[in-house]
Amino acid sequence: MLLCDFHIHTTYSDGSVELGRVIDLYGQAGFDVIAITDHVVNGDNLLGKLAQRFRFSVRGDNFDEYMAAVQQQARRAWDKYGMLVIPGVEISKNHISIDMSAHILVLDVKEFIPACMSYEKIFLEAKRQDAITVACHPHHLSDNSRDTLYLWNNRDKYARHIDAWEIANRDDVFNVISLKKYHYIANSDFHKPRHLYSWKTLLNCEKDVESVKQCIRHNKGVAITLFRN
Amino acid sequence: MTTQIFSALTAVGLLCYGLQLWSIRAAAQKQENNEGIQTDYTPPISILKPLKGLDDNLFDNLESFCHLDYPRYELIFALQDMNDQACKVAQKVKNKYPGKDIRIVAKRCNAGLNPKVNNLMAAYDAAKYEYILISDSNVQAGRQYLKSTVSPMNDPNVGLVSNLIEGVGGRTAGSVLENLHMNSFIMGSVCFLDRFLKLPCVVGKSMLMRKKDLEAIGGLHGVKDVLAEDYLLGKKMGESGKRVVLSPYRIQNVNHYWGIKKFLNRHTRWGKLRWKIGGAKYVSELAANPVFTSAMPLFILGPVRSAIMLALFTSMLKIAGDLYIGKETGTGMHPLSYLLVPLKDILIGLIWFVPIFSQGVAWRGNKYIIGKDSVLSPYTVSRSLAWKYRIVNSIRERFA
Repeated sequence: MLLCDFHIHTTYSDGSVELGRVIDLYGQAGFDVIAITDHVVNGDNLLGKLAQRFRFSVRGDNFDEYMAAVQQQARRAWDKYGMLVIPGVEISKNHISIDMSAHILVLDVKEFIPACMSYEKIFLEAKRQDAITVACHPHHLSDNSRDTLYLWNNRDKYARHIDAWEIANRDDVFNVISLKKYHYIANSDFHKPRHLYSWKTLLNCEKDVESVKQCIRHNKGVAITLFRN
Repeated sequence: MTTQIFSALTAVGLLCYGLQLWSIRAAAQKQENNEGIQTDYTPPISILKPLKGLDDNLFDNLESFCHLDYPRYELIFALQDMNDQACKVAQKVKNKYPGKDIRIVAKRCNAGLNPKVNNLMAAYDAAKYEYILISDSNVQAGRQYLKSTVSPMNDPNVGLVSNLIEGVGGRTAGSVLENLHMNSFIMGSVCFLDRFLKLPCVVGKSMLMRKKDLEAIGGLHGVKDVLAEDYLLGKKMGESGKRVVLSPYRIQNVNHYWGIKKFLNRHTRWGKLRWKIGGAKYVSELAANPVFTSAMPLFILGPVRSAIMLALFTSMLKIAGDLYIGKETGTGMHPLSYLLVPLKDILIGLIWFVPIFSQGVAWRGNKYIIGKDSVLSPYTVSRSLAWKYRIVNSIRERFA
């Protein structure tokens, strides 16, 4: 089984650890597959504007630089640790109301996707890029300041566009995903070194990007594990 | 009067510290000049690596042992459980170097109370060479490590060779404090004891022995119920008439992401060890902490001029001295991190008192009571204390 984490932030957005060190932290711990998913924040309201102003977001003007850095580190991670690194982003639509907010992981992203686009357009664009979409922390979290409920509240409309839902995020487990029988993965939402020890995904597939994507999409051979030291 | 007394104590502490600096410098020069290394003496060696959980930099630590410049050696990764997080890392290192003689031995063993010794038992049985090197999972070694360490073994009277350890890395406050302490007090004390008192201090992170010598002193079974198995092996080896040698070759203990709690926990545990082993000699450790003794008048008299001057002067000297050691040994720590030296020494001074009042130790998820010569016994909570712990735990859970 491949030990995986598909939700990791670096100093390209609001993570506290630089990209190279994140790769080393996961590589030294024996991980097989990770995805770097820094925030792309919507700039159409004050919250988003502040996030962009303080550089807590990947933006259109630095997306190529971000991708180049991730790809360079991906080569290093493969050579040194035999660890697969998938470039991604976390499209973050933040609003004052938690019922209006949603975060979507786009794994194996190729081109910039602005977060102020409509949900339909975001999903279509992700599909065009043959990327995987994951609904992040879709239900109430223990730290309720991070709650993002829009996708869950509108699941009837959007579930068909979503490849998988986070059934566990860091320390939280969302039983509603299980009850609805949605496709699932579990991630750390890594921002600090201590977040390494949290919920993770185990995949029973080959260690290459296409196999990993297929495994998540079909959701066969997927397990979750609480990674502790 | 108070200031004068503590000034005198501080002067004694600074003198001890000066001697430590001198002995570290001498050891560093010895390593630089490759003194006493016989490159033609290279018997095959079995390296036993007890693994439990993820240490900082574990992959690199294990990988560094695949790059040793040595003709014949085997590497045995020892685990109690295939589900241990370290097993996956060990497997990755093994897969990366298919040409190296690497084995993973996973076997549960509850022979004693020391988890490291339990972990080593099966690996020891599996080792195929006469020379055994016990090397902790949290150390990284340079290419010449084996050649340098095995050199003294050419003398049949030498029974055990240990190495100097330096702390490197440090991306959090806890790890910076840890590395500062490893590179000043720990390294200084080991070098000082070896040079001036001719008492080689065995550091368990690296111990090279012959199987026949180890078995003659009771083998690993003889140290299965003590916390300081390294100290006891050295002591028994000395008593059996074999010499214990400290190799000047330094290996690195990589600490990147330690919290302050982990730093305090380790040094409280080590303090308890030294208190149970050294007895009255443990007092000398406090005297050898000039920053702490120089800060005492500040605690007692408050911020009077003479007390402030004494504490400031001593702290500056200590910072300069530790910076010098860092430069001399090439630990690569950021110069500004040395500003934490006074804080670290005061914390160490405060936890010096803990062993006098407490005998419990927590180590890798296990709790023990530590007795004379670091003999372990299971930690049991008396009925009156059990209520206290139950209340504290329920409060902790409530606020978690």
